[in-house]
Amino acid sequence: MLQRRAQGATRIYLAQEKACCKLFYTTDSQPAEQQPQDGINSFISTDVSNPELEFPKCLAQEDAISLAKTSSNLQPSLQSIAVKDNIATVGSRTTCGSGILREYRSPFEAGVVRSLRLHGSLVCGKTNMDEFGMGSHSTHSFFGPVSNAWPLDKLSVGGSSGGSAAAVASGQCSVALGTDTGGSVRLPAAYTGIVGFKPSYGAISRWGVIPYANSMDTVGILASDVSSIKKAFWRIRRHDPRDPTSVADKAWDRLASGQENSFRRRKKAGMRLAPALDMFGIRIGVPLEYNIAELDSGIRQAWRNCLDMFQDRGATIVSISLPNTRHALSTYYVLAPAEAASNLSKYDGVRYGTRDGSADGSDGSLYSRTRGKGFGEEVKRRILLGSYTLSSEAVDNYFLKAQKVRRLVQQDFDRVFATPSGLRPPEQFDLKDLDESIPMSSKLGPTQVDFIVCPTAPTLPPTLDAVSKQTPVDTYMNDVFTVPASLAGIPAISIPFTLPEAFHSQGKPAFAGMQIIGQYASDNTLINIANIMMNPRRTESQGQSAETVTKEYHKQNSSKQEQNQFPPIKEENPVSEEGGLQDPFPQGDRANLRIRKIKIGFGIRKMQTKGPLIRKYFQPYREVTSKRESEHFEPLARNVPTDKGNPERLPKTDKEVSKVLEDSLGLWKLQNR
Amino acid sequence: MARIPPSVLRRYLFGGHLPTGGCLRPLRHCRPTAYSLSAKRYHGTQVSNTSAGPGFPETTIPFRKQLKDEAKKRKAEGTGKKSKQDNQKLDDWELTVGIEIHAQLNTARKLFSAAASSINDTPNTHVALFDVAMPGSQPTFQKETLIPALRAALALNCEIQKTSRFDRKHYFHWDQPAGYQITQYYEPFARDGYITLYAHDGIAAEDGEEVRIGIKQIQMEQDTAKTISQPGDIHLLDFNRVGLPLIEIITLPQIHHPSTAAALVRKVQILLNAVDACVLGMQSGGLRADVNVSVRRRDSTSSSTHSYGGIQGLGQRTEIKNLSSFKAVEDAIIAERDRQISVLESGGVIEGETRGWTIGSSETKRLRGKEGEVDYRYMPDPDLAPVVIGEDLIEHLRSTMGVLPDEEILGLTNEYGLTTKDAMSLVSLNEGGRVEYFMNVVDEYLLTSAEAEEDLKAVGRLIGNWVLHEMGGLTHDLADEENPLNMTPEGDCVIPAKQLAELVRFLSSEKITGRTAKKVLSQLFAAGLTGKEETAEGIIEREGLWFTPLSEAEYAQLATDVLGGNTKVVEEILAGKAGKINFLVGQVMRADQDGRVDATKARVVVVKLIEEQRRSAA
Repeated sequence: MLQRRAQGATRIYLAQEKACCKLFYTTDSQPAEQQPQDGINSFISTDVSNPELEFPKCLAQEDAISLAKTSSNLQPSLQSIAVKDNIATVGSRTTCGSGILREYRSPFEAGVVRSLRLHGSLVCGKTNMDEFGMGSHSTHSFFGPVSNAWPLDKLSVGGSSGGSAAAVASGQCSVALGTDTGGSVRLPAAYTGIVGFKPSYGAISRWGVIPYANSMDTVGILASDVSSIKKAFWRIRRHDPRDPTSVADKAWDRLASGQENSFRRRKKAGMRLAPALDMFGIRIGVPLEYNIAELDSGIRQAWRNCLDMFQDRGATIVSISLPNTRHALSTYYVLAPAEAASNLSKYDGVRYGTRDGSADGSDGSLYSRTRGKGFGEEVKRRILLGSYTLSSEAVDNYFLKAQKVRRLVQQDFDRVFATPSGLRPPEQFDLKDLDESIPMSSKLGPTQVDFIVCPTAPTLPPTLDAVSKQTPVDTYMNDVFTVPASLAGIPAISIPFTLPEAFHSQGKPAFAGMQIIGQYASDNTLINIANIMMNPRRTESQGQSAETVTKEYHKQNSSKQEQNQFPPIKEENPVSEEGGLQDPFPQGDRANLRIRKIKIGFGIRKMQTKGPLIRKYFQPYREVTSKRESEHFEPLARNVPTDKGNPERLPKTDKEVSKVLEDSLGLWKLQNR
Repeated sequence: MARIPPSVLRRYLFGGHLPTGGCLRPLRHCRPTAYSLSAKRYHGTQVSNTSAGPGFPETTIPFRKQLKDEAKKRKAEGTGKKSKQDNQKLDDWELTVGIEIHAQLNTARKLFSAAASSINDTPNTHVALFDVAMPGSQPTFQKETLIPALRAALALNCEIQKTSRFDRKHYFHWDQPAGYQITQYYEPFARDGYITLYAHDGIAAEDGEEVRIGIKQIQMEQDTAKTISQPGDIHLLDFNRVGLPLIEIITLPQIHHPSTAAALVRKVQILLNAVDACVLGMQSGGLRADVNVSVRRRDSTSSSTHSYGGIQGLGQRTEIKNLSSFKAVEDAIIAERDRQISVLESGGVIEGETRGWTIGSSETKRLRGKEGEVDYRYMPDPDLAPVVIGEDLIEHLRSTMGVLPDEEILGLTNEYGLTTKDAMSLVSLNEGGRVEYFMNVVDEYLLTSAEAEEDLKAVGRLIGNWVLHEMGGLTHDLADEENPLNMTPEGDCVIPAKQLAELVRFLSSEKITGRTAKKVLSQLFAAGLTGKEETAEGIIEREGLWFTPLSEAEYAQLATDVLGGNTKVVEEILAGKAGKINFLVGQVMRADQDGRVDATKARVVVVKLIEEQRRSAA
């Protein structure tokens, strides 16, 4: 239970195949620097015992019955599941990829693992990850970085659930559990070409999931196909009274059926009218603000192809505006480190975890050495960042403001989705922030949509080499498209989508992740849509094209349109003069590049000229000052605290902390605000 | 005042038993408590140096030695201390004090886990996963803890907030497993209350008959683990206490006299006890106070630019932490006030700092300055939903709260004619049992009344005297040391109320003498202790104590005997010193063993005899 101090050696199993286990030895005084180059290092432990199945007698009766019922007809893909190492399991270590928990064995099991086990699944191993989930490339692990499988072995697998993604991608298991706080499931899925699903916040129990940022943490599922995700989600979505943020079953049923009903209604009409068009009636939103300058041109083209595909299947493509998402990334990197700094203060090595062997407390503090040695660089950086944004001098300008911006991001999504979230009362939205190119469907606002489709990551996976050269802030940029859904707590799924051939290149994958985002509790329909997209189109032979069916539909339903609770389809999907459908990017030049460059970049054109856009994410609350832009963008990570010479030395006073942060992370204090 | 009887204290200290007051008892068996986390009892942490974390001063000097040293020092200084009464007000300076009081709530479970509340159980036996911050464990708010908290807030006239939230307050200390304490910083559950202190509560004379002190807010928060220090710099941790619910009561800086501050803390304790919100009193560590002290010149406001709790123009304040007795509150405030004034008068500046106070000392001690202050980095707890308190619950608690001590004292003085002092004694004795008993006796007494109307005030005074003073003086070998009457909080004791009422009735209708009544009372007491069934009437009958008035002849005989024995006095009276007659009357009264002598009658007889002597002499 309570962690026994690692006495002599720590055994770390690194295995691609279970047959070839390697033993690494490390001692307390020397944090392991080992970087195994063989294998892909996707697992931290594979020696997981599954107590329930070995001792079925210890189960409660009803549990045993449900186990007997379900395990007999369990899908092969769900029989053995890999679990990210920040989800507590009994019978193995739960390390979070951190040195401070390298020998930690949890006395209890996570609710989600318990659910899976009761349905007959086995835990086949605990997967490697960025320490405490902090990272985007699974390189910040105490147990060494995760590498991609050949031939992509030079590329990042994404993070932080990189171990889970690599395990699925390399065929070691077909389903793996990960956690998604700002994109930690979707990004690795996109980089490794598998499916990654982040459910609605509160849908899956977080009891036993070691928190990074509680208000955004979700348990996600990674799998090679959508149907496995659907089945796994069905098995683990249930209320857990031990998790105070878990949604009650009744509330979930109400919210989810609200989402499904509206979907089904239109689907039914579509099926009757055009059985070949399996997306008929579905409206897909394309957020203009996501078309940023840094978006890889191949991915942009894949995005367009993906939208074409939706359209061909009968879906309506609508441009939407999410004006506040330009603040989402900076909001996330204020809120998540703040919560992390708070959550990680429990790791002091007193009750569990590893303590530094030598006497601690030379300056009267009990933990500085233990924490200084136990945590990795990135974790320390975020603890500092979080501690600073919560400090009394900065909390008003950073943390509290970020909370407000988070609310705005949520409102953005509520505005564009056709069905209300059911969590917040519907609001009248201010239209003044909208991009002026968004057409209005009525005087109340623009057309609302069922799902949003956008790329999961702005670029293809970078090489590990490039990652190691990136500044911390550069790596944060990978989360730009995934963070908004996390802030809003809404479900999103990343599915692999083939890159157009023209963009294939040596050493880079031929796929990109496409993200579908849905309204809160629309998880099931979201998975269904992803499933349809992943499967080849059923029949082309019936000769129905989307255009003709649409025209037909409008002819038939012209009298009914007024009763429709949604804005009339005629207006949102007008047959243009050329006879084609409305362009998803209005005013765009279809023949050349449909996405007009002038439109990109968060709707603020004046930002185009200077510096990489992503840097702008770190100035959301800045007042306009007379300082030149460049002065604010000092080389990043210049003064990030290093452990050289004095490993446990962390800045002590708030002044020091804020100085470090100002210098290193491009964050600065607002004056007189 | 509400003193905790040593027996209760002893049971609590050695056995861990708590006197369970009414409101939460039924809740104790609703769910099984969380199992203990570990069979390992102690978690030791070792530090190489002695300095503890911020704000936790350690005194290694034995307490007795410390007291002795300080007494010696005072003697050496040769300055006689000003008495406290005279030390409440200064002419040039105005003192301003605000107080924060922490009280442990009387609940069955911890604030965020189902582990049971316990006081002196085996260490680390009531610990849930969340209590020791096991990774991945989450809090579960125990709604039942709201009940005593709300009662406390209602007793302090607070506005209960419909929505309140929990925040994390971060600081590192080994008694804080999560690295943060969950408290209510941004949105506490109760605000804007007040407490009224009367002269009888012991406020300073300068505050007049009554003074009202505002309560800024009351918040719920978690307690920390208990550190058990061992020789050799070993600290053992008992996590049974971690996560127990506390309330913190924050007053406005509206107190201007040291003794009023002490009275406030005392009064808060009485109120919390009365509504059954609090586990233990201040003496036993269930209540702790921090005081904020500032001074300013009465004539000018130039240097007083600070504002606390919405009150403008105050001087720079300092905080004195962890005061654990009423006396310490008063003494520490006086000492700190005097220190601040002497600093200011010598041209210095008061720094905003945290200071400590050790019992018996004459000065506060600096613990840490502002730069050493911990930045608590308050953050709303993302796992905990807001607490929404319904109007119906508040109404229910308000209606079932019972009579508060102030109201009760007012009733006893106005309706029953008791003095405030007696009323307070009645209310505070035997956890309210004494006043219940008093009411029972009065009821029984009025039942035996022959007349339709009796003056309730006279009856109250009479019964009050017997219940409080006569019964208070009873002793017996068999009697329990602390509670000789075996008084229960419901108002039952070894002497049935009915018997006492009858006894007093016999006395007031002059069927027995006062002396007899006292004798019978002690016999009833003895009988009650030995388990014998006795009635007042039975004892009087058996011992033949009924009062028979003296005849004229007996009076004359007694008086003659007395005069015969005091011839010198008689001569003086005859010489003109008429005042000496009273002495003789007294002698006559004393002469009768049964105390049947009526003073007026005796006087008449004595005067008559003396006049006879005067005549015979003339």
